[in-house]
Formats: sequence, C-alpha cells, structure tokens
Amino acid sequence: MTPLLELRRLTVRYGALTALRGLDLQVQQGELVTLLGANGAGKSTTLRAISRLVDAAAGQVLWRGADLAGVRTHRTVRLGIGHCPEGRRVLARQTVATNLELGAWLRRDRAGIAADLQRCYGLFPRLAERRRQLAGNLSGGEQQMLAIARALMGRPSLLLLDEPSLGLAPKLVAEVMTALAALHREGLSMLLVEQNATAALEIADRGVVLEAGSISLEGRAESLLADAGLRASYLGDTS
Amino acid sequence: MDLLQILVNGLSVGTVYGLFALGYTLVFSVLGVINFAHGAVFTLGAYFTYLLIGGAVGANGLLAGFQLPVALPFWGALPLAGLGAALVALLVERVAFRPLRRRRADPLLALITSLGAGVILVNLIQLLVGAESYAIPTSVLGGLPASFPLLGARVRTVQALLLGIALLLLALLSLWLEGSRNGKGLQAVAEDPETAQLLGIDSTAMVRLAFGLSGFLAGVAGGLVGLSVSIAGPYFGIGYGLKGLAVLVLGGLGSVPGAVLGGLIVGLAEAFVPADWSGYKDAVSYGFLFLVLLLRPQGLLGRPLPTKV
Repeated sequence: MTPLLELRRLTVRYGALTALRGLDLQVQQGELVTLLGANGAGKSTTLRAISRLVDAAAGQVLWRGADLAGVRTHRTVRLGIGHCPEGRRVLARQTVATNLELGAWLRRDRAGIAADLQRCYGLFPRLAERRRQLAGNLSGGEQQMLAIARALMGRPSLLLLDEPSLGLAPKLVAEVMTALAALHREGLSMLLVEQNATAALEIADRGVVLEAGSISLEGRAESLLADAGLRASYLGDTS
Repeated sequence: MDLLQILVNGLSVGTVYGLFALGYTLVFSVLGVINFAHGAVFTLGAYFTYLLIGGAVGANGLLAGFQLPVALPFWGALPLAGLGAALVALLVERVAFRPLRRRRADPLLALITSLGAGVILVNLIQLLVGAESYAIPTSVLGGLPASFPLLGARVRTVQALLLGIALLLLALLSLWLEGSRNGKGLQAVAEDPETAQLLGIDSTAMVRLAFGLSGFLAGVAGGLVGLSVSIAGPYFGIGYGLKGLAVLVLGGLGSVPGAVLGGLIVGLAEAFVPADWSGYKDAVSYGFLFLVLLLRPQGLLGRPLPTKV
C-alpha cells in the first residue's frame, strides 16, 4: 500500500549548511511516528520541507504517492497536511475563538466546523473557558493546546507537530501527550518531533532518531524506549 | 474664521490624510514595507476622476485635447476612479514587489522599486496630459448648494461631503477587517505570514487584496481632493504622500485606528494655523510628529512589539 507520506533521499540545504542529507522516511495511514534527535539534527527542517516552507535541494516528498515539488505551502493544507509549528505561533492579537476559526480557513462546511470546534473544546476544556481571550494572554501550555486544536480544525489527514512539549511543565506535557494519544487512537496519523524522547516514545508506534541530518537509528517505539543505552548516547535523556 | 468651519476644514483634510495613511498601513501590515508609489496612485485617482466626469485634457502632453466620450456624474466617476487606481496599485505590486518576494530578497529593497514605480507613474502622467493643473468643478455635484448653514456657521458642501465619504470608507474598512473572512485572513498574514500559510491562507492573494484596497482608498481620496481643492499637476500627490507617511508614523505603524486618528490630528492642527501663517502648516504638522515620536516612539496607537512566547 502507498504510504500516506514518504520522504525519498530528501536533502535540504540552507546556504552552505546541509540540514538534511538523503533522508528516507515513511508514515503509514494511522501511524504515529516520532522524530527524535538533538538540536540542529534536522527535525524541524523535515517538517518544514513536508509543508513546503523550505525547498528540497534533492530528493522527494511524496504525499499519497504524489510529489509535492512546486506545491505552495497553503496548498499542502488543502491536501490534508496539518502543521503545528515550533514555538506554537498562535496569533497573539486574535482571540482563542478566532484562532480556531482561522484553522478552518479552507473549509465551508459550517456544521462540520461547529462540531469540530466543540470537539476541540472537549479535548482541551481550558480553551473553552478562555475562548474570548486574546491568544497572546494565554499561558505557554494553553497556547500549545490552542496551536494543536487550531491545526485539528483544518481536519488534517496527517498532523505534523514540532516540539509540542517544549517549555511546558511536566504536568502539562502529560496532558498534551494524553490528548495526542487520544487523537492517535481515533485514527489520526502523526509525525511528532520531540526532544522529550521518553514522552514521545510512550505514545508513538515508531521512533526515528536523526543525527546531523540523517537517520542514525529507527525502530518500534517500545524497543527504543527499552534501550537505556540509546537514551544516553542518542537522546541525551538522563531521565 | 468661525470655529466650526475650522473644525470641518481640519476634519475633512484629516480624513483624507487618514485614507492616505490607511493605504500605507494595509500594505505595511502584510509586507512590512512602505509602498512609495502610493502617492502616485492617489494622483492617478484624481486624474481618473477628472477624465470620467468628462473633463478634457489641455494643450500639452500626448493626449492633448482628449476627452472621454462619456461624462459620468461625480458619484459614478469617483468609485470607478477608485477601481482604476486599485488596478494600478495591483500593477505596482506585480512589478515592484512580487519579483523581490519571489526571490526572497530583503523586503527593504521594495522601498526603492516602489519609489521607482511611483516616479515612472508621475512622469507618465506628465507625458500624457501635461503638467498643468486641472479643476473638478463643483457643478458636478448637481443641484447641491455650494455651502449650507450648520449651527450658525456656513460649511462648504464639498468639505462636508469629503468628510462624510472618507468617514464612511474608514468605517466600512474597519468593519470588513474585523468581521469578514478575508479581513481576518489579512490580519493573520499581517501578524505572521508563515503561520497564516500553514492554516491554508494564500498569502500572495492577501497581499494582492491589501494593494487593491489601498489603491482604491488612494484613488477615491485623490478624486475627493481634486474636487475640494484642485489637481495641481502630476506632482501634487507627493506632498500628500509625505503627509500620509507622517500620519502613519504618528498614529502608529500598522494600526488602522491609529492611521485615522493621526490623520484627524494632523488635519486639525493644520486647520488651526492662522491664514497669515499658512506657509507654516507643514512645519506645524511635522513639528507635532517630532514631538510625539520623542514621547512615544511607537506612535499614538502603535502596539508595543507583539509578545514572543
């Protein structure tokens, strides 16, 4: 079966710097794959290449078997790729409700949008409480929930998440991961970039470790999680 | 002069400045640069209005003696001139802005390319219709009296109209920005273009929308000034353009209510300069700008930088 997403020998350069070197990666329908690695390993660049925010220097990004080369970023959303960017990037000057409304920008099905809005508020009850507040006034954790909910409002087939746990207190990390696990159980495919390897592997099907722009290790999430040596050497995780 | 007349004068000039500054603001908010061709678009709007009401080109220029076969009433000519100006603004975006954006060039380069586009447009006007001044006769307003009494003073009809139309446009624009789907999309692009794209918003389309709207506002403002004062030649938009910039900075870059407020303040400040001192109007408005910037560098209603989280 054609994978939902397939990266073939993907290479991305920023000027003289090579961020990704010939990366091969697949995400199957319904799968949650986590992309791990140190800062600068190329994790965010991978997501940015999938969303066409950066161009591939070589190699391909295939979406349901079709090459995304030349597709503009806003078109990838229509194709079903939701991207929850690094640093949350909520629209600080807009209310929580407007942020969510803008997440459904391409949709015209009012009833479906209203239903999804309720679903998001159900998934993150704090957002419902703060729906009239400006997103810039939310706490970091609430902003992260808003960013995830906003991406869900576009009804993506694949959700790209860039470090959703960054800067959150452990309790909030658990809350966000629980929500992601619930979405995964409902069948949503995800590519989750994380520095918090343990938290990510606990909810993922598969893990891929990047090092200097290429894969240094990959495997089932359970086996990666069990590998204590891996944590020390590849993930810098001392927990 | 009567206080009420001074107020109406000041407010009507001020709303024109406001319309002008709003055009700058719309483009600035999505691209982060000033469109220096904006004054030329304003000027073109005035000439378009003049031609659409059936005005004839003078003896100079390539189009000497040219006259459109139709003579529209002012109410028809003004919105059409606005549309014409919007098309010119879209053309400016196409040739002076988009090629730079596509090459991911430094946005500041667009200051130079737009200035160039503005100079070319102004020179084209001179080439086509000459450098003489044109007047839009107030008779185009039909049976309206030249002035009317209000609270014991006499107010020039043209000025009241100018004030009314400009305020209406400002109100419509604010409602549209806050209430409509595209208005919200435009604001999203203004706040964070990359995130807007990740939500599926076509930022290029929004940039075009901003240019079109800003061109329309400038064109209408040009037609209104042509009616209330005159079209003092191809360069007459430059003074307004600089004043619009001052208003923009005074109100706060990127702030829609700031542009309106800044316009009204500068217009009023100038109107209160006594007639004997009218040569110092510009000194008053720029002096005022200088003072505000000393005390409040972000402008009156400018936001402090958005919270980065």
